[in-house]
Parts: sequence; C-alpha cells; structure tokens
Amino acid sequence: MASQTGERERPLATGPGRVLVSVYAVFALAATSRAAVQIVTDFHEAPLAYLLSAFSAVVYVIATFALAGRGSGARRLALTAVSVELVGVLAVGTASLLAPADFPRATVWSGYGSGYGFVPLVLPLLGLWWLRRRRPGVRGS
Amino acid sequence: MHSGLVAAVVTLALLAAAAGAVTAARNRPAGGLTLGLTAVAALVTLAQSAVAGVELVQGRRPPELATFIGYLLGIIVVLPLAAGWAVAERTRWSGLVVAVGGFTVAVMTARLVMMWRGASG
Repeated sequence: MASQTGERERPLATGPGRVLVSVYAVFALAATSRAAVQIVTDFHEAPLAYLLSAFSAVVYVIATFALAGRGSGARRLALTAVSVELVGVLAVGTASLLAPADFPRATVWSGYGSGYGFVPLVLPLLGLWWLRRRRPGVRGS
Repeated sequence: MHSGLVAAVVTLALLAAAAGAVTAARNRPAGGLTLGLTAVAALVTLAQSAVAGVELVQGRRPPELATFIGYLLGIIVVLPLAAGWAVAERTRWSGLVVAVGGFTVAVMTARLVMMWRGASG
C-alpha cells in the first residue's frame, strides 16, 4: 500500500507512539473533566482560568486523536496541537507564577503542570521529539 | 470509600502496571498475567465506584462533589481502554500502555480518597 521512498507512510501510533497516545489520553480525560466541573459549578469565580482549562482540554483531545491517526493531515494536526500545548504550558505556567491572583484556581498548566508531576511540561517535548522521529522519509523505528 | 476495595484497587492496578513494565523490559508483548491482572483490577475498580456511588446516594457529600463523581466515572474506563489499546498492537510497548493505565488508576484512587476524607473533615 505504501508508496515509494520519501512518502512512505510512517504511522505515529505504532511502537512507542502507542505509549505516548495513552499518556495524552489520560491528560485529555483529566483536563476535560476538570474543565467541565469548573465551568459547570463555579464559572464566575475565575472565568479566565476556567476558559484556559477548557482550551487545554481541547488541545489535549485534538493531540490525542491526531497522534493516534494516520496520514499527513493527522501529522500536521498533531504538530500544531503539540506546539500549541508547549506554548500553552509555558505561557500559563509563567503567568500563574507572575500573576497568581489572576489564577485563583489551578488549571492543568498552572505552575508548569506542577499539580500533575510536571508531566504537562515534558509531554509536548516528547510529542515534538516523536513527530520529528517519525517524520516521513526517515528510516529507523 | 470502602478501605478494603481502595487497597485492592491500588494494589492490583500497581501490580498490573509492574507486570506490564516487566514484559516491556523483557521485550515481550503484554501477556496473560498482565492482561489478567488488568481485567481483575478493572472489575474491582468498577466495584469501588459502585460502592462509593451507593454511599453518595445514602447522603455522603464530599465538598468537591462534582469532581468526585467525575473521578468515580472516569476511573472506570481507564483500564478497559488501556487494555484495548494494548492488545491492538502486541509489541513490547503494549506493556507500557497497561503500565500507564494502572498508574493512572492508582493516582486517581488516591485523589478520590483525599476528596472523600475532605467530607468527614
């Protein structure tokens, strides 16, 4: 099925990629449920933090499905989502330290993901590494 | 939260995670022991959520009730999804997929207990 050199299909969700997808799925679940609870129960308390929570949830869900998908479209989507995730965790992490008053309630990205063992900080780096390693036309596992 | 069930969930989930990590270290796909432990851990997790749900119906109210219910429901799907994702590609990495699921269930159970203790002050 795969075409010849260069364009050879190199699925993301094989080998170590399957572990990466499972960790992303955990964070998609965690961020989505956290955002849902925050927005449903007390949105007025911290609208900015809760909207960021919802945004991070959307990013994790998209990244999970894109990393589990096949083809160049899924790859581009994964690269975008993981890049946004990295910018997000750095920006929200920095903002939550500099202006804690604006972040009275934690999001997944607060304190660079300190509430989740800093996994949210490491995960996009692993994602970018994996996308680079599985870019089309590169041999190896 | 039933303390016996909590102990069983954490123990079985971490055993499944360890079994998965060991098969991965041996460069083997997740086998019968890992998947069996995962199945039993998933069933005990379901029992834990059911029992806690009954206690909620009987009137216990943890302060973070919505989050607590979210965890009770979310924790049920983690191990079945991890097992399904693991057996779909039987390489050494399938064991690590199970390990991620088992570790997640153990952490989520710890969070559930913390939220539950918040209820009794």
